Amino acid sequence: MSKVVEISPTTRHEGHSKMVLKVNDQGIIETGNWCSITPVRGVEKLAVGKTPEQVPKIASRVCGICPIAHNLAATEAMEASIKCEIPKDALMLRHILQLANRLHSIALHDILILPDLYLPGTEVKINPFTAEEPVRTVAKRIQRLREIGQTIGQIAGGDCIHPRNTRVGGMYRNCSDQAKIKMYDLAKEALPLAKAQMDLMIAILRNYQARESVDVGGMKVALPKTLGYHNQGYLATHAFYGSSSLEECPSWDIERFKEVRPWDWYMGEMEVSLEEPRYPIGGTTKIGTKTNPQMEACTGIPMYDGQPVEVGPRARLAVYKGYDEKGTVGQNIAREMEYTDCLYEMIDCIDALNPNGKVVADYIPDGDGALGWASNEAPRGTDVHIARVKDWKVQYFSMLVPTTWNFATCSAALTGAPWQLAEVIMRGYDPCVSCATHMIVVDEDNKVVAQKLIQ
Amino acid sequence: MLFPEIVIAGCGNPLFADDGFGPAVIEEMHNLSLPDNVMIIDAGLGGPHFIFTLLDPEVTKKLIIVDIADYGAEPGSITKLRVEDLPPGAYRDAHSWDLAEPLQRIKDRVDITIIGVQPARVTAPEFEEGLSDELQKAIPKTIRVILETIGVDYGTTINLQEERRQRGTAETCSSPESR
Repeated sequence: MSKVVEISPTTRHEGHSKMVLKVNDQGIIETGNWCSITPVRGVEKLAVGKTPEQVPKIASRVCGICPIAHNLAATEAMEASIKCEIPKDALMLRHILQLANRLHSIALHDILILPDLYLPGTEVKINPFTAEEPVRTVAKRIQRLREIGQTIGQIAGGDCIHPRNTRVGGMYRNCSDQAKIKMYDLAKEALPLAKAQMDLMIAILRNYQARESVDVGGMKVALPKTLGYHNQGYLATHAFYGSSSLEECPSWDIERFKEVRPWDWYMGEMEVSLEEPRYPIGGTTKIGTKTNPQMEACTGIPMYDGQPVEVGPRARLAVYKGYDEKGTVGQNIAREMEYTDCLYEMIDCIDALNPNGKVVADYIPDGDGALGWASNEAPRGTDVHIARVKDWKVQYFSMLVPTTWNFATCSAALTGAPWQLAEVIMRGYDPCVSCATHMIVVDEDNKVVAQKLIQ
Repeated sequence: MLFPEIVIAGCGNPLFADDGFGPAVIEEMHNLSLPDNVMIIDAGLGGPHFIFTLLDPEVTKKLIIVDIADYGAEPGSITKLRVEDLPPGAYRDAHSWDLAEPLQRIKDRVDITIIGVQPARVTAPEFEEGLSDELQKAIPKTIRVILETIGVDYGTTINLQEERRQRGTAETCSSPESR
């Protein structure tokens, strides 16, 4: 007899989501639904009537962790619609910015997944915040990689979180010779660190994979060899960066894309019938709680050729480099392999950048209402933005963000795994669920606790 | 090092009306020339993972966070908070970053001031751009508080007497014509 277990909210990833899992008597998932519960609505509506300069700024605010991918994809969707080709040096700066963001993101992901994994040769799970060696050295290396990624991004993009340097038609300014040398030095410094970090993470992941069972909140859980396997296919539009042309990138054709509503795809109303208080961070949802993934899921389900697909590092490696390892471990290893790839590519782009070259197109058309799209390979997958610009006004705008692609794919990958490992599978996708507001509530009762009112 | 001695981070999301107050203050501060040891950042929603967890306490001595804070005051009221004033979990962003409270971790080694301004209208989850009048007017005051906190005297650049007389928006207060 199937039971229903709910993990809400899911943890150690970016954003808010939950998992509703129908499991058999052995605790193996029969049907898994992973859905976003963060309602973020209306970016498409907000964009209409704005200028093409404003919309990328709006798009970059939809998410707190991938503003760079959104900013670049939206800018390039505008350029695709108005048919503006940007100078090579502007493109190089954008490549550098995007790769720097990816470097930071892979390093951040290491911190997020390490607590699931074991120190090889021991039964100790890794706490990345411990002051003890050898983890301390690893944590410092991760921090340095993040710092280098952010610094290079800041130089190329003008600001390390919301880039100020990008604009429709290119970039506002090129960098100086010294800035180019600085970026080069930082990338060179990062390369051996990234190599060492990649080797270590792959060793740790292989060690995990070889285990018969793993511990989750004191429960011994058998580890299936097919953890996270699915047959949904992959979508990637570029090995590193992205594309906005079907000739350049035949693997993404907007005609083959369709979006369906979650109620066609997710389970209907159910009642939680299995509860596990030992599950990490507060246990699972209480028995008797009503849950309804169909109605609560806040995203559509994008389909490519009528099926959900996987996007992200493994998809890029599978499409462009013949990588073929399935499952959660294979996915995490693919992400680690992007560490050095990303730095080699970055060094090539810095080499190719001419600091004296122009970075703004000579002519920026106002747009005739043609449909333009641009994909950007964000750290966690293909981010596609679609726009229509006429007379320097946006008439239509839409965003297909990476994790939206992965929700249904990951849900399919949950089948056959013990429910306690559902979050491990989910974290393999490095999900980033759109963010909401984050106001500080000083006191629940709205009592004034602030000691010192200034004005 | 990525971050200098003094870091000023404006947090919040401009797509949710007054939640965009922090970034709006930073935008305004870009018009000022500040000492080299000060960095101002529009942190958006990325404060915890892009800044708070990346600060090196050996280098960064002071962190100022500008954000909205609901403490039941009149909209536009400004308060200074310490990390201790925040209940656990209050500053986790929208992200389930359960590993640590980054501010709690660094508060003993970095001097952290949170400048909280009472919002009038936060529209989440619906998107809406633009600050309410009360918060628009609070921008110059907030900047003055920030500059006082970091010990920069900008009395001559932001003419507060004029500001009081005009009751204008941040744009008009700082534009050359109005001075």
